Amino acid sequence: MMVNKQTRDWYPFVGPFDPCPPIYVKSYYVPPNQYIPFQPMGLQQFSLQEALRLGTLWPALYSPYESKCGKGAGNE
Amino acid sequence: MNKKLDANYYSKLLELQQLDFALVELTLYLDTHPNDLQAIQQFNQLAQQRQQCAHQFEMQYGPLLQFGHSYSKYPWQWIETPWPWQV
Repeated sequence: MMVNKQTRDWYPFVGPFDPCPPIYVKSYYVPPNQYIPFQPMGLQQFSLQEALRLGTLWPALYSPYESKCGKGAGNE
Repeated sequence: MNKKLDANYYSKLLELQQLDFALVELTLYLDTHPNDLQAIQQFNQLAQQRQQCAHQFEMQYGPLLQFGHSYSKYPWQWIETPWPWQV
C-alpha cells in the first residue's frame, strides 16, 4: 500500500523541428490518497507538531509535492 | 502603550494552532468514520486540551474570539493591539 515514490514519468516526443528546446522526461505526482479507496481505522498518526507542519495527521496520506522550480528545465 | 509580545505568546499560539489543526483533521475523518471509537476519544481529549489552552491564553493575553465566544477583562480588550495580522 505504501508507495514511496509518488511521481510517475512520461517521455514527450522530441522531433527535429521542435520550436523550443526538448524536454525529455516530464513527471507528475500521484498522491497517496489515490491508492487508498477508504481510509482504514486506526492508521498510524504524526505528532501534533509534525501534523501541523506537514499538513496531514496521517503519514500514509502525506504527499510532499516538492516544487520543481530551480531544478532546471531538463526534467520539468 | 506599545505592548511587547514575549516568546510565550507565540509558543502558546503555536500550540493552539497545532491543536486546532488536529481537531480539523479528526472532524473530517470522523465525518466518514462515525463509529471509530478510538478517534472519538482522541477528538474529545484534544477538544478539552484545546479549551484549556485557549482559556490560559485568553487569561493572559486577551480574547481570541468575539461576539461572546471569549470573555474580556476591564477595560474592553477587543480593541487592543495586536490584531491577528499584526502578530
